[in-house]
Amino acid sequence: MIAYVTAGLLAMLALSIPVGIVLFMLGFGVDALFSPFPLTRGLGNMVWSTSNNATLIAIPFFVLLGEVLVRSGVAARTYAALDRWVSWLPGGLVHANVATATMFSATSGSSVATAATVATVAMPQAEKLGYDPKLFSGAIAAGGTLGIMIPPSINLIVYGFLTQTSIPQLFLAGLIPGLLLALGFILVAMLICMVRPELGGERRVFPLREMLRALVHLVPIILLFGIIIGTIYKGWATPTEAAAVGVAGALAIAALFGSVSAGMLTQSLLGTIKITSMIMLVVIGASFLNFTLASAGLGRELNDFLSGLGLSPLATILVVVVIYIVLGFFIETLSLMVVTIPIIVPLVVAQGYDPVWFGILMIVLIEMALITPPVGLNLYVVQGARKNGQMSEVMLGAIPFVLTMLAMVVALIAVPDIALLLPTAMK
Amino acid sequence: MAENFLERLRTLNRSVAVIIGGLLLICAMVVLADIVLRQLGHSFGGTDEISGYVMAIATSWGMAYALLELGHVRIDLMRTRLAARGRSLLDVLAMLALNATISVIAWRCWPVLERSINNSSRANTPLETPLALVQTPWFLGWVWFAIMSWLVFGAAVSLILQGKFNKAEAAIGSMAEADTLS
Repeated sequence: MIAYVTAGLLAMLALSIPVGIVLFMLGFGVDALFSPFPLTRGLGNMVWSTSNNATLIAIPFFVLLGEVLVRSGVAARTYAALDRWVSWLPGGLVHANVATATMFSATSGSSVATAATVATVAMPQAEKLGYDPKLFSGAIAAGGTLGIMIPPSINLIVYGFLTQTSIPQLFLAGLIPGLLLALGFILVAMLICMVRPELGGERRVFPLREMLRALVHLVPIILLFGIIIGTIYKGWATPTEAAAVGVAGALAIAALFGSVSAGMLTQSLLGTIKITSMIMLVVIGASFLNFTLASAGLGRELNDFLSGLGLSPLATILVVVVIYIVLGFFIETLSLMVVTIPIIVPLVVAQGYDPVWFGILMIVLIEMALITPPVGLNLYVVQGARKNGQMSEVMLGAIPFVLTMLAMVVALIAVPDIALLLPTAMK
Repeated sequence: MAENFLERLRTLNRSVAVIIGGLLLICAMVVLADIVLRQLGHSFGGTDEISGYVMAIATSWGMAYALLELGHVRIDLMRTRLAARGRSLLDVLAMLALNATISVIAWRCWPVLERSINNSSRANTPLETPLALVQTPWFLGWVWFAIMSWLVFGAAVSLILQGKFNKAEAAIGSMAEADTLS
């Protein structure tokens, strides 16, 4: 069954059938070939129960928040301000991409929304200033993945919900690894541009006064982060409700800058609907495929395989890491989490690992999945924001950052305190 | 003619998208009001439930808009290597797969609504929402998506038969190409 799904997935994706549709069709196939009872009859219920979901409404809320911030000019101003601070480094604006993505991750719970936000403001600069499109767009795709690591995070909410782990604890645990990853991205981009300066475009140094004045433009984002995280830690709102608070906050900020208009609101809503529908078709398709796979006994197949190996705790983690890397090439990230959590997390926790720590490790692996082809949503979002050029450029540009994430995976396994320090200290 | 028709579909679905976007915005404001009221010791109750319904309806009605804006993700690694004719062939194949699947979904969604109507089901919540009330618009959204996808498919095929590969690609191609065309 695993072989059938893998082969079918690759063949249909290569034919450029929409990803969400491929997942549905694989589900029909699993039903026809491997299930003793008809599962497609449950399709209607699957579609209803997956989309009738108060947790998932956080997706359009966080996307809308990003859209409003972009169109209000806050994103562009943040980008310009961070440009003043980091463009003296070898690699110039590439670092502004990572830094802006890091800041937006602190207001956005979704990597796709973060990548979309940064891509929209950054892309026009790339050509104007003569940057290598590969490294430039790769940095946006990779920086965008921080959206699910740095709180708030939709994926950590889903993980906490499914594994009965405290969501505020998970949020705390994601903070240091998220910032370390951002630092790692910046260092890697710097190294690349020191070896091949032609990739980085012009380095620019700004006077200190201008740098200090630019700080004002970072206030709205920091304020919004405070509001979203504050309402969660004060216990005023669930993480999903905080997303609605974020929308209101973003609208208030946009109104302060005088940029709320009927046209701007319409464009924001249209963008939100387009991205949400794209995500939801894939999420619903994945839920249906998961449902057919689970009913046909994939969990048993995987569990037998893993427990049959009789591995040590460290070897188990390494096998799990490899599984995620391989699956991450092909499976959309939220689906990857949802399909694996029920099988993998009990297995890992039984070996004595902390579920909060494993949640963070899983997020790094999922971030990797977001920027590895052929199924890496962030690559598509960044490509979507470009006006021309090949998809493969974004894919190539993401490779150095994939390696950085791999280093983070090793670091987390070697030093679990990278994730556990803050949650333990705050307990 | 097919081009005008596609343009009309695009305008129509843009209006639909704005309406459901507005619905989401209102929903966010209701959630916000509920949080504030809760601090004051009151609550509407049931905002979670309403959010779920809004999400289900917004999802089904937004799909056709995303289709017309070429928003549904496709892997174009192989596709981009082909000539116009080859790309059109893959586009038609992809559309056929999509149309068939969406039609099956719409058809399989009907029994969910039918059961709610026949049993006059109510949600197992404090609001006791009659499920048919929220499942009807949800179901119609999927039917709408199915009809729209067949209409887009018909228009695109007629463009291809006229040899207008570029125009067809703008309707059912993949994102990158469409952007360079415009």
